Formats: sequence, C-alpha cells, structure tokens
Amino acid sequence: MIDTHVEEKLCRLFEKNGIEVYNINSNRFKTNTINIFFQDNLNKDTVALNALFPSVLRRGCKGLPTIKDINLYLEKLYGAVFDCGIVKKGERQIIHFYFEYISDKYTNDSQRNFEKAFEFLMNIIFRPELKDGSFNEQYVQQEKNNLKMIVEGRTNDKIQYSMERCYELMCKEEPFGLYEYGTVEQIDEITNEKLYEHYKKKIASLPAEIFITGEIDEKEVAFIKEKLSLVERSIPQKLNSSIILKCVKDVREYEDKMDVNQAKLCMGLRTHVQPADNDYYALLVFNGLLGGGMHSKLFQNVREKAGLAYYVYSGLEKFKGLMVIASGIDINNKDTAQEIIMKQLEELRSGNITEYEYEATLKSIKTGIMSLKDSQLYVVDFYLSQLINGTHDTMETLVEKINRVTVDDIIKVADKIQLDTVYFLTSNTQESNK
Amino acid sequence: MNFDTIEYKKYNELFYRYEHPSGLNCIVIPKKGYYKKYATFSTQYGSVDNEFIIPGENEPTKVPDGIAHFLEHKLFEQKDGSVMDKFAALGSKPNAFTSFNQTVYLFSCTDLFHENFKLLLNFVQNPYITDESVEREKKIIGQEINMYRDDPGWRVNFNLLKAIYKNHPVRYDIAGTIESISEITKETLYQCYKTFYHPSNMLITVVGDVDHIKVFEQVENCIQTSEKASEIKRIFPNESTDINKSYIEQNMPVSTPIFYMGFKDSNLDLEGAEILRYELATKLLLSMLMGKSSRLYEELYDKGLINSSFEMDFSLEKSYAYSMFGGESVNPEEVQDRITKEIKLLKKQGLDEDTFKRLLNASKGRFLRQLNSLENISRSFINLYFKGVTMFDYLEVYDKMKFDYITDVFDSHFDIKRMALSVVKQK
Repeated sequence: MIDTHVEEKLCRLFEKNGIEVYNINSNRFKTNTINIFFQDNLNKDTVALNALFPSVLRRGCKGLPTIKDINLYLEKLYGAVFDCGIVKKGERQIIHFYFEYISDKYTNDSQRNFEKAFEFLMNIIFRPELKDGSFNEQYVQQEKNNLKMIVEGRTNDKIQYSMERCYELMCKEEPFGLYEYGTVEQIDEITNEKLYEHYKKKIASLPAEIFITGEIDEKEVAFIKEKLSLVERSIPQKLNSSIILKCVKDVREYEDKMDVNQAKLCMGLRTHVQPADNDYYALLVFNGLLGGGMHSKLFQNVREKAGLAYYVYSGLEKFKGLMVIASGIDINNKDTAQEIIMKQLEELRSGNITEYEYEATLKSIKTGIMSLKDSQLYVVDFYLSQLINGTHDTMETLVEKINRVTVDDIIKVADKIQLDTVYFLTSNTQESNK
Repeated sequence: MNFDTIEYKKYNELFYRYEHPSGLNCIVIPKKGYYKKYATFSTQYGSVDNEFIIPGENEPTKVPDGIAHFLEHKLFEQKDGSVMDKFAALGSKPNAFTSFNQTVYLFSCTDLFHENFKLLLNFVQNPYITDESVEREKKIIGQEINMYRDDPGWRVNFNLLKAIYKNHPVRYDIAGTIESISEITKETLYQCYKTFYHPSNMLITVVGDVDHIKVFEQVENCIQTSEKASEIKRIFPNESTDINKSYIEQNMPVSTPIFYMGFKDSNLDLEGAEILRYELATKLLLSMLMGKSSRLYEELYDKGLINSSFEMDFSLEKSYAYSMFGGESVNPEEVQDRITKEIKLLKKQGLDEDTFKRLLNASKGRFLRQLNSLENISRSFINLYFKGVTMFDYLEVYDKMKFDYITDVFDSHFDIKRMALSVVKQK
C-alpha cells in the first residue's frame, strides 16, 4: 500500500505564451491526466465553429493522420484515453482536450509516458492533419454531419433536453440561451476555409490553462516549457463575465409537445447571486434545502408525500446565477405539482426550516464537496471553475464558509430568487395513458 | 476473528475477506488516502428471478415481473419512517439499484462511516411493508417506468434482448410494467424477501480508507441470523440456442435511428476463472473486429454510418450471455451488412496475432484505470463474486491469455445465425 498521503492542492507552475500551467500533485491514482482548456465567449457567430473544430482535430494530426492511427497509438500506450470537446459554463464556451494514461509505476518498461502524452496533445492541438493548406475536406464534411446529428438528437434525452430548453427559452436574449453545439443552419454555413481560419485565430489567441494531475518532476516541467515556447500565440483576448443581474417582469410560460409517456415540468429561476458574492454560500444551502437530495423539501413533498414523481430536484448554474427545478410527472398533474413546488419555495422564504433539514443539507453538501477529491476530473473541474469565477476557495474553505451560513442568510438569499420561466414538455395527445 | 488477506503487490492492491457463520461474506478493499467510503449490502436476486422453489417447499412460486425492483424501493421504508432521512442526517448518500441478477443497497460518505454502516446493515435486514405504502409506491414506480418508456437508448437495448431471447426473463424490463406491478402485494413482497434476503445469499463490500477489523466486528455484531440457509432453486424457462427473431423495430421521436445488435451466446457452463477468460476473450474480439483501431470502424466512420456514440459490450451470467454493440446510424441495416461481411472475411482469413497482443495490453491498462474508482471496484466485485470469482483474478487472466483460445471463441461466439438487430427510428 502507498502510505504517503499527499494533500492535493492546485499548484501554479508557470505561464508561457498566454498559457497557464498548473499541477495537482497526487499519487493515489493508477493514472495521471492532462487537461487543456481554451476559453471563449459564448457568441452566436462563433458557437458552431468552436464546437466543430475540436472534432476535426480529433480526426488526425502530424504523424497520426487518421482515427485508426490515433487509436493504435493510444492502445500501444497501455490503453491511454484521449478525447476532446466543448462545455458551456455560464456564458463561456470552453474547448477541452483530455488525456489519461497509466502512471509509470504500473507499466513494465522505462518509457516516460508523460512526455509521450504531452507531445501527442501538442500535435493534436497545434499540428492538425492538413491538405492543400487547410483541414482535410473529408473530415470537415463528416464532422459537420456528426455535429448536426448531435444538435438534432438533443430531444432523445428528455430529462436533459427539457432543462436545457427551459434555460434556453428563459435566456433567449442573452448569450447563455445559445446551445453550445450551435444550430443546424449555423453548421451548414461553415466552409473548410472559414473553419481553418477560425481555428488558427482562436488557438493563437484564446486564454488557455493546462492542468496536470499526478506527480511531475523538474525534467518534465522543463519539457512542457520547451514545447509551449514553440507555439506561436498573441496576447490572449479578454473574456466577458456572465450577465447575472437581470430583473424579471412577468413569469413566462412555454409548452412543447412530443410523443411521450411522461411529462417534464421545469421551472427556471434567477438567483441574482454571483459566485464571488458572500450570498453565494447561502445560495448553495438554499438549493440543498429545496431540492438537493432525499432530505430536501422537493423530494419529501413532491415524491414521498404526494407520490407525483420518480425524480424531482433543483440544481444551480452557478456561473450564470440560475436555478432550475426539474421533475418527471404524469401529464395531468402539472398544476398540482407546480403548486406543491411553489409552496416549498414559500416555506424557505419564510424561514420554515427544521433543524434536521438544515443539518442534513450542510452535511450533504460537505460530503459532496469532499467526495470530489476522489476523481481527478472533478478536482480539475473544481479548480477551473474557481478560475472562471475569480474565486479562490479550496474544498476545505468552501466547506467552512457553507458551515457558517445561518437561517437568516438563507431567508435573505431566498428573497432575491425569482421565478422567471415555466416550461412544460408534454404529450401530443394530452391524454393520460394510464 | 478469522479473515483472509489477498494481496496483489505489483499493483498496490489487496482485499480482506471475512465469512460470517450465516454464510454471509464481507469484503473490505482498502483504498488509502481516498476521502469517500463506499459500502454495499447486496443480494443475489434480480429481475430474472421471477420463478423459484422456496427452500423447504416443493412447488415452484411464480411472482409478477418487476418485484425485485419494487422490493428495493420498499426496503427504504422503516417502521419509524424512511431510512433515507437517517442517512441524510449523517450527511451520506444512500442509494440502491436492481439489475437482472442483483439488488444492491449502498451508501457513500466521507465521515461517520460506522454510524452509516450500522444503518445499512439494519435497514436491509428489517423490512417494514404496509398495504398502503405498497399502493403509494406503485404510483412512483409507475412514473419511473414511464420515464424509461420515453428513453430511446433504454428501449433499443431491451428490444434487442426481446429479439435474442424467446423465453428467458432477461427479455423483460427490470422495473416490470404498469400492469405487472399492479399485481404486487405486501404478502408477495415479504415472501420474496424471506427467500432471497437470507445472509447466505448476500454479500457486503466496503471500499475506502477504513479499518477492516472494525468493519468485520460490526458485521459480526449486526447480522441477526447465524444459521446457513439451503439453496434457492431458481427456475428458468427452456431457452434454445437460436434467437427469437433477427430484427425488431420501434418508432419513437428520434432524429437519427439508434441501433443495437448482438449475438446470443449459449456457452453457459463455465466455472471460476474460465468465466473471466471467456468474457475477456469476447471483449477483445469485439475490439479486434470493430474497435476504434480496426479497419471496419474506420470504414464505417468514414462512410458516416457510425459516429462516436458507437459502443460494445459482452454480458455473461449463469443462465444467459450475449454481446451487444451499436449507437446512432443513418442506416443500421448497412452497418449490419458490413459487420456480417467482415466476420465472414475474418473467419476465412484468420485473426491477426499482433492486433490481439496490442489490444490485450491496452485492455489491461484500461482495467487498471478502473481501479481509480471506488464505485467501479465495488460494482465489479459484486457482479463477479456471485459468479465465484473476484475482479482481481482478471490480472492473472490477462497474463495467461492465449491467441489460440481467442481464435476458438471467435468461431463459437460470432455465429451469424445468432445475430439480431434492434432499431429505434422515427415513424
């Protein structure tokens, strides 16, 4: 057994060419990871282009021009895992490159896997497979089709889709309302030339971070520095912050109809709380009390007492200060469910919180935060979120601040939260199919 | 206190095993430095166990589909309220799931492990079911069933099993149907509980940074039965080696068709490490045939017939086994056609030994990667334990895997006559 227990913290190594490099030292895992993030503003003119180019890069790079070559390479590297794609965090669209490889301790030879992994990612990002001075045309066409399939296939997962749709309708006049993979029309308009120019510009100017998990030595740090110094980059562009403060005038209601057996009721709320506010910690507790687990008011009242739903919960989009309440119910139960949900919000506004609910919520949030430490990807995501929000919490300080939240703080934050949009995904027939 | 220590020095892994007088086994897999502690209490009882002979009786008992899953929901209710509340008061997350062959109760926590563990041991041993609570649960499970009815990924999966199997209960949804659960009563639930929740049919696993001796002592003190039970006879209908039908289609609101296809496997008399060997060989063959480094994958991807949603797997249990592969495709029939041709070609040409060696090595690396996750360790351990092996036995199976054996499995498993295709597409 490895007994040396190293406390894992985010350690900034250096910055080179506008790329910040961080290490999270750990020796508990069988693998190490490298994560590279390029951050951009979510913008209707670039959303589809940003979504498309990583999938073209994934198809081939210098020395490994096809998917087959790439996968042969990964298989030879003890089944290393590589992928890339995009995520939306608030009004940022983030391009993520990911590599996970077996730690040198568990491989049989003396090859240094870190260097191979890092070199591979550098080639994927900066030296794509080109033809006639642009991307391989065949790859661009195929990946456009794949991306369109993702966009069109959004409705397959009704739970996810109904929440996204609720946020989308709620923020249709804000950048956050954009779907991170773009629209079919936007994808159709992309040409190889336009995409390649866009990629070159973005990769050279977007602010970027590299997170390495696992143990790395001085030689490896020097190796990263050398590789990054070869990259041509300009001064990184400045990014916008998410719009969080927005006054709600009237609650808007929307309904979509599909061929479904179960309806989805989603309610979108604006919290008017920014991640760097003091109120943010109270908001986390508010969300936990409302719908953050089996002890929560929503679970207890909508599911356990009324038997209306199998799933019901609330969740935060902290980067944008939004909250969604989601549930799957019988199509005839919309009004009843909505009434019970609104009642739970009222209970919290009036401070009607039992000792049990309060304690269970604090403990459950603490367990959730500390559990993140057992996944390299979650730890990286936690620190990336801190950077995006300009906050400086560790998991421990976050827990401490949450523990200091009082019932008065919760009432105060509850007063700021406003219902904005009610979205209902229901059956075409509008008849119960019991 | 007697327990065994089984060590895998090269990989920094070990586990401890303790057997309670009732026949219950408890396994502790220490993961030093991890924050979470993940404990499970499981029974070898899943959705396929719908007909059986209760120990001491002569006549078979047949129960409604979905009852194992229904019982899972009902165990959370205790005489003094829901046990979920007690876990929540300790800040831990309880959960449970029912699969074809097991029902697993679990919690994960970072603090107060022994208090949580006590709750787990107690609630699984003490059912409290009332007529009224059974009726209320029918509403909640009804919503769960409707949720899965709207999930095309779930439907395409079960439809494939309906195509592969004529009679075996693996072809039915784990949660049953609204009709089948309407027949469930308090009495039947208790009857199933008494049959399948005897400690000799159960397993406890704890994964995380815990003191194994304290865990074993707690099990010794909390298990209420000390007699071993006789074996439950599980009855499965006759199932021929042929598939039920080669094609099944359902219309649902999807933009791109989703397909799963697979082979029925009737190699069901394997024991011990042989099970792992066969499973690993089949999974390697799937990768050799259509994994991301194969020529077939490249061709299908380049023609736009598959995308990155394409995946594959193999399941092997005591009474059924099948492979399954698929994803989204604009033309599932053409994918099937190409796979069929490739199998025929490889049967003629023979498999490539270098590809086998490379994929074996990669697969071992990916196995080691699974050891990062407490949940994965626990899940693999439970699944294999009831088949008489442990997940760490894989390490030896990897080292001993031979190319000749792979070739034999290729001939037996990939039989075109036993292949079925399930498609979900828009009307």
